Amino acid sequence: MHPKTHAILNLFHQREGFVSGEALSRELAVSRTAIWKHIKTLREAGYVIEAIPSRGYQLTATPDNLSAEEIERHLSSAIIGRRLICLAETTSTNSDAFRLAEQGAPEGAVVFADTQSGGKGRMGRRWVSPPGVNLYCSVILRPEIMPYEAPQLTFLSAVAVARAIELTTPIIPEIKWPNDVLVRGRKIAGLLNEMSAETDGTNFVILGMGINLNMAANQFPSDMRYPATSLCLELGRAVERVPFAATLLNELDRLYNEFQVYGFRPVREEWQQRCNAYGRELTVSDGDCEITRGAFEGIDDDGALLVRSRKGLERILSGDVRIL
Amino acid sequence: MDVKDLKVLIKMITETDITEFEMDNSDEKIVIRRGSKTEYVAMPSAPATFAMPQMTAAPVAAASSSQAGAVPQVSVELGETINSPIVGTFYRSPAPDAAPYVEVGQVVEKGQVLCIVEAMKLMNEIEAEFRCKIIKICKDNAQAVEYGDPLFAIEKL
Repeated sequence: MHPKTHAILNLFHQREGFVSGEALSRELAVSRTAIWKHIKTLREAGYVIEAIPSRGYQLTATPDNLSAEEIERHLSSAIIGRRLICLAETTSTNSDAFRLAEQGAPEGAVVFADTQSGGKGRMGRRWVSPPGVNLYCSVILRPEIMPYEAPQLTFLSAVAVARAIELTTPIIPEIKWPNDVLVRGRKIAGLLNEMSAETDGTNFVILGMGINLNMAANQFPSDMRYPATSLCLELGRAVERVPFAATLLNELDRLYNEFQVYGFRPVREEWQQRCNAYGRELTVSDGDCEITRGAFEGIDDDGALLVRSRKGLERILSGDVRIL
Repeated sequence: MDVKDLKVLIKMITETDITEFEMDNSDEKIVIRRGSKTEYVAMPSAPATFAMPQMTAAPVAAASSSQAGAVPQVSVELGETINSPIVGTFYRSPAPDAAPYVEVGQVVEKGQVLCIVEAMKLMNEIEAEFRCKIIKICKDNAQAVEYGDPLFAIEKL
């Protein structure tokens, strides 16, 4: 967005009611014709701006577009969201973030896309990413940790998504190991992380998050592995994407700062409280092959799943979990 | 020497009356002894700097035992390996129905992806840090790997 267009937007947000064309022209030190052009740009971006000849302009509706300007207005974070890249369309925000990180993008940079043509899931699966309704984003982190500690970060984004849902809606979500977020047993968010590491150090970690905010029932594919839902389907009303996105980044920022000071323990504790599956029977499978089944006994210091099976206490590092 | 060649070599030796065989080149030294004092010794001819996994050629040994009466026990020096930086699950391909990233004998370029090690839904694509040839794939697909476990034996090119 042009800086002057951005400045007009800021003036609208600062002042209630109408702002005269003359005042805008004076404050921005540009001609009335230039103001009119910027207003036109804003309208094209989805802002509803009323114009009354004797009174000037009034912003009456802000689009729920994922723009850096709009998300920034709601951000209170220290690291996460320091740099925002909002794309109309991409293949995969994880791939974009990975490439940007390789090129030296700073910690806390976040890539958003309105739609993804190749949203990634585990084992080469796809994350369905229709435009205009959901949130697809990837966060670049550069933690000073050893590669074997990096899987702990998986639990940060799961807790951040759960918190953001609770802060913006009356819904209380559950978490399934390691980081699926469920509402009434249906998947509402999918998180997939990627890492670039060498034997003795972590270059960067990408936390990828796909959250079904306003997806309609007919937008879900018929051949899904798990039952899925969206916040809109659960609430019966749409959720604004911009405030949700900012809340998510703010919470992730809090958790990441805490992680850097206190380590994994606080996140692990909150994750276990939210998981709500202690003692419940579950199965773990790899593809179509069942690895084990038994009672859920929490996660260990690395975040590995602990299952009490007939063979004893098993430690699981990857797989698809189903709660029976 | 790769496993296939080694198997052929053992078979050849067990079909003869040779009780001791020794081969030495710049990369490796192979010693196969048969008879009452069955043992095998593998020694690197150059100082080893990487983890050296042991590998046994059990199927061939079993097949040859009826003929020779003594089972040659064999392990081979793997030389340089690419090891896992994390504990996790080893995947040879990006998806179950996709082709593996690499096969034995393949020459890979620096930066080329060799496999994925996954832990807690964190995907770690292991890349070649230099141009090399894949000598051996040390783990099966979907097998659990520990930190530092050799994933591939390679030959630096």
